[in-house]
Amino acid sequence: MRDEDLSITWYAPRPRPLWRQGSALAAVVWLGIVGGSALLAPWLAPGGTLAADPARRLLPPGPSAWLGTDALGRDVLARLVWGGRWTLQMGLLGLSVAVGLGLPMGMAAGLAGPWLDAVLMRLTDALLAFPGLLLAMSVVALTGPGLLPVALAAGLAAAPSYARVARSAALEVRSQPYIEAAFAIGAGPWRILRRHILPNAAGALLSFAAAQLGWVLLTGAALNFLGLGGPPGTPEWGAMLAAGRGFLRDAPWASVFPGLALTLTVLAAHLLSDGVLEALRARR
Amino acid sequence: MLTYLGRRLVQGLAAMAIAITLAFVAMQLAPGDPATALLAASGATQQEVAERRQQLGLDDPLPTQCLRFLADLLRGDLGSSWLHGRPVGKMVVEQAPATIELALAASAIGAALGIGLGVLGATRRGRWCDTLATALAVVSLSTPTYWSGLLAILVFSLRLRWFPSSGAAGLHHLVLPALVLGVALAGSVARLVRVRVAEVLEMPFVTAARARGLPTRRVLAVHVLRPALGPALTVIALQTGFLLGGAVVTESVFARPGLGKLVLDAVLWRDLPVLRGVILVGAAAYTGMNLVADLAVAWLDPRLRERLLPLD
Amino acid sequence: MVRTVRRILALLICVLLLLAACRASRSPTRIVYGLTLAPSGIDPHVNASSELGIPLTSVYDTLVYQDPANGTFVGGLAERWEISADGTIYTFYLRHGVKFHDGTPFNAEAVRANLERITSADLASQKARFMLGPYERTEVLDEYTVRIVLSEPFAPLLDSLSQVYLGMASPTAIAKWGSDYQLHQVGTGPYMFAEYVPGDHLLLRANPTYAWGPSLYQHRRAQVEEIEFRFFTDPATRSPALESGQVQIMGEIPPQDAARLADNPEFRVAAVPIPGVSLMFFLNTQRPPLDRLEVRQALLYGTDRPAIVAAVFGETSPVAYGPLAAVNWGYDPAVQSTYPYDPGQAASLLEEAGWLDHDGDGIRDQDGQSLRLDLYLMGWGYMPEVGQLLAAQWAELGIAVNSQIVSYPEALQIAGEGRHHLMPFTLSGSDPDILRRFFHSQQGFNWAKVDDAQLDAWLEEAARASTREERAALYSQVQRRVMEQALVVPIRDYVNLNGVSARVEGLRFDAQGWFPWLIDVSLAP
Repeated sequence: MRDEDLSITWYAPRPRPLWRQGSALAAVVWLGIVGGSALLAPWLAPGGTLAADPARRLLPPGPSAWLGTDALGRDVLARLVWGGRWTLQMGLLGLSVAVGLGLPMGMAAGLAGPWLDAVLMRLTDALLAFPGLLLAMSVVALTGPGLLPVALAAGLAAAPSYARVARSAALEVRSQPYIEAAFAIGAGPWRILRRHILPNAAGALLSFAAAQLGWVLLTGAALNFLGLGGPPGTPEWGAMLAAGRGFLRDAPWASVFPGLALTLTVLAAHLLSDGVLEALRARR
Repeated sequence: MLTYLGRRLVQGLAAMAIAITLAFVAMQLAPGDPATALLAASGATQQEVAERRQQLGLDDPLPTQCLRFLADLLRGDLGSSWLHGRPVGKMVVEQAPATIELALAASAIGAALGIGLGVLGATRRGRWCDTLATALAVVSLSTPTYWSGLLAILVFSLRLRWFPSSGAAGLHHLVLPALVLGVALAGSVARLVRVRVAEVLEMPFVTAARARGLPTRRVLAVHVLRPALGPALTVIALQTGFLLGGAVVTESVFARPGLGKLVLDAVLWRDLPVLRGVILVGAAAYTGMNLVADLAVAWLDPRLRERLLPLD
Repeated sequence: MVRTVRRILALLICVLLLLAACRASRSPTRIVYGLTLAPSGIDPHVNASSELGIPLTSVYDTLVYQDPANGTFVGGLAERWEISADGTIYTFYLRHGVKFHDGTPFNAEAVRANLERITSADLASQKARFMLGPYERTEVLDEYTVRIVLSEPFAPLLDSLSQVYLGMASPTAIAKWGSDYQLHQVGTGPYMFAEYVPGDHLLLRANPTYAWGPSLYQHRRAQVEEIEFRFFTDPATRSPALESGQVQIMGEIPPQDAARLADNPEFRVAAVPIPGVSLMFFLNTQRPPLDRLEVRQALLYGTDRPAIVAAVFGETSPVAYGPLAAVNWGYDPAVQSTYPYDPGQAASLLEEAGWLDHDGDGIRDQDGQSLRLDLYLMGWGYMPEVGQLLAAQWAELGIAVNSQIVSYPEALQIAGEGRHHLMPFTLSGSDPDILRRFFHSQQGFNWAKVDDAQLDAWLEEAARASTREERAALYSQVQRRVMEQALVVPIRDYVNLNGVSARVEGLRFDAQGWFPWLIDVSLAP
C-alpha cells in the first residue's frame, strides 16, 4: 500500500516560529478581541447589561440588538462583551490552580521513586472520588460566594487529572535513553528537568492544559447552574448558555452565541498551544 | 503479581478512607443542618427538629461522629439514607447497572472516536484536515452535555423519531446518551493523541521502521501508537472513573437512573450516609481505573514496565 | 427421520408465532405519565415530596376525600364520622367489605396500625406525622369503628386525612416488608403498585376488585390497565418527550413550551391552579431598613407585578396580591386592591422614611449608608428570573439589591439567623392553616420575622375553630393584616401546566391540585 494512497504526512513541514503560523495568529487575534472588549466593556456596552427589560424579550438578531435579546430582554452582544471579563478571569484562575498544583504533583510522581509515586497517586484517587459539588461548596463556605471561588474549586477539581497526565508524560520521557545518558554524565536533576524533561513532555502538558481550560469553564458553568456562583444574572458565558437553553426551539440565539464564544476561546487556547509547541521545535 | 495487586488494593482502601474523612469535614463546613432541611417544610417544631438531630447522631461531638462514620464502614454497615429512609447499599446497587452501562459505552465511543480523530489530525498535520480535526475536537470538548444532549433529543428523538429520549430499559435507550457523552469525551482524547502521535512520527525509529519496508498500517499501529497512547489512556481511564461515579447531567437530560442523582441529592440535602456510600463507589472506581490504566500503559510500552509494575 | 424433525420444528415455529400474535393483540392499554422529580423515597408515611403523591393517590384510599370544587369532605374508607363538641375526638364509621390488594381485610385495627406506624419515632416520618397535629392516640371501638383522640382541637385534621400521606396501607405488608416496604406498597385503591425501579420507572396496574370508591370518582373501576411513571427532572426535555409520543401526560411543562403545545391539535394543556401560599418574597421586618413600614410599602408599590408575571410565566399564571392562593377556600379578594403599581407613591414613601440620593450615585442613602438589600434565593421555581426582574424594577427606584443563590439547607439557616432582607418561597396546601407556618411568631418558616400577637391569636384560633365560616373570617383578617403590614411581596399563584395527549380523556385533579384521580382516565384509540 503506497503512502500516497493514505496521504499521510510523515514529515512535518519545517517548524515555523509563532508569528509565521496562520492558525496561531488567528488565535491570538481572537483572544485579543475577547480581552480587549472585556477591558473596554464600560465603553463598548455602556449602561450595564444586568437591567432586564421584559418588553424586549427574545428578539431575534437585528438592528436593535445585533445578536438578539435573551429571555429577560437583555442584549446578548452586550452581555457577551461584559461576560468576557468573568469568563477570562474564571478560566485563567482555574487553569493556573489546576496546572500550578497538578504539574509539580505529576512530575514528582513520575520522576521520583515508586513510594512517592504511590502516595501521590492514591491522594489523587481520593481527590478524584470527591464530588465536585461538595468541593465547591466547601471552598465557598471558606471564602464566601462568588464566581471566582467557583473557578478556584473547578481548578482544584481539575488538578488531580492534570497530575495524572503530567505523570504519564513524565514517565514517557524519563524512560528515554538520553535521560539516562544525562544522569550518567552527572547533570543535576533540576537541569535535566528543565532542559530535557519539560521540553519533551511539553506536547502532552500544553495540549491537556488547553483541554482543562475548557473543562474548568464548563464545570464553573455547571456549578453555577446548581446554585453556586455569582449573583443570578451575571453575564458569564457558561451561565448564559445554561439559561438560554430552555428556549432552544424558540430563540436559539440566546444560547448559541454564548456557546460559540466559549468554543472559540477554547479553540484559540488549543491553537495557541499547538503554535507554541511548533515554535519551541523551531528554536531547537 | 499478586502481591502487587494486593498492595494496590490496600492503597486503594487508604484512598477511600481519606476521601470519606475529607467528605465528612467538607459537610461540616457546608452551611445548613440536615435535620432542619428534612423537617422544616412539614411544620415541625424546634423540639421535634432537635429530637430528629439527636436520632441522627448529629449532636455528638465531631470526632465521635467521624469515627463512627468510618467504623460503620469497616463493619460493612452502610447505614440508611436520612432522606430516602432506605438502606444505602441497596440504593447504590439499584442505580449502579445503568451507570455502569452508560460509563462503559460512552468511554468506548469516546476512546474510539478520540483516537481516530487524533490520528487523523496528526497524520495530516499542517494541512486543513488537521485544523478541522482540532476544531471538531474542541467543539466537542467545550460544549456542555446539557446543551448537546438537548439538541440530540430535539433532532434524533423528536424530529427523526429514531431513538427514545428517556429510560434505561435497553440498548435502544442507551444510544443517544452514550453518543452525547462519548462525543464530549472524545475531544480531549483526540487532542492528546494528535499531539503525541505528531511527536512520535518525527522520531527516528519510525523512519527506520519504514525504511525496513514495513507496511504503513503496521508502522502506525505498532510503532507509532504504542508509545503515543500513554497520556490518552490516562485520560480515558480518568473519564471512565468519573462516569462510573455517575454523570448527573446526562442522567437528568435523558431521564435515566444512575448514581449521579444520588450524589447530587446527598450533597444538597446533607445526607451523610448516602454520601459515604457514593464516595466509596467513586474511590473504588478511580482506584480500579487507574490500576487498569497503569497496567495498559505497561503492556503497551515495555520501557515503562519496570517502573510501573515493581513486581519485587 | 430428518423430515419428521423438520416438520415438528415447523409446527413449533407456527405455534410460537401464533402465541406471539395473540399476546401482541392482547397487550394491555397503557399510559405513560411523566413526573418531574425522581422522588427521594416514595413511602407516603415517611417522605414529603409531592411527586410521590401523583401515582400513589390511586394506590391508597383515604378515610375521607375533599371535593376540589367546593372543599367539602365526602366519605371514603370512612362512610361517616362524628366530631365531638370540643373538637378533640373524631369517631369514624368505616366501610365494610374493603380489602387491601394482598387480601387483608380493612378494618379499625388497620387504621390504628397505620396511625401508630406514622407516629412512631423509628419511622422518622418527614411529613405525615406532622399533618396529624396534636395527635394523642387511636382507639378501636369495634371492628369498623375507630376513634382518633387529639390533645387539642385541630381543624385541619380532616384535610390531612384526605391526603395520600395518611393513606391506609396494609398492616400485613408493612409487617412483612419492614424497611423495604417502599418497593412493595399495598393499599386499597383502584390501582395496584406493580413495580418500582428507583430513578427509572414506577408501574401501576389496575385493581380488578375495586368497588368502594368515593362519590367523587366518576367510574367504578380503573379504565386503563397499566400506568407507567417516568421521571423527567430536566424541564427542557419534558415537552419533546410528550411531542415524540413517549409519554401521554407530562406535568410542569415550562411556560414557553406550553404555548407551543396549546397550538398543536394533538395535545392540550391542562392548567391546574395549585392551592397554597403564592410565590412571595418575605421581607425581614427585624432588619433595617425593612423594619420601617414605609420602606416595605414602598417596595410593594414599586413592583410592577403583572409585568414580571407576563415576562416569566406568560399568560399561564395569575398575579398574586396576597399570601394565600386565589384558589384556596378562605381566600379574601380584598387583597387585590392593595398596592397597585405606583412608582410615584413608592418614591415619596422612601423619601418620607429619609432615603434620598444624596451622593448622586443612583442609589438612595441615609446617614452615609446606601439602601442595599440582601436577597437570598434558591435556584428552582423561577425564583432567579423573578429576582432579577424585581432587582431591575427596584433599581429604578434607587434601591440596590445584592442577590445570591443558595441551597435549601443554607436558606433555612440564613432565615433562621435573620441575615436576609428578602427571601422567596412557595408551598402548596389545601388548608389555609398553611398560613400559620409562615406568619406565626413561633413557627420555623416565619421568614418575615414577624412577632404580632394579634396575628398569632387569629392563626391559633383558626386552627381550632369548628366551622368553615369562622375559620374563613379569621383567615380573611390574617390576609389583610399581612398586606397592611407589608410582610411579603406576593408575585404569582402556582399553576401546574400539564401537557396532555388529545387521546387522553377524563383527567381530573384532586383538591391538592397535584394529584390526579387516575381511575377516571381513559385512552382513546
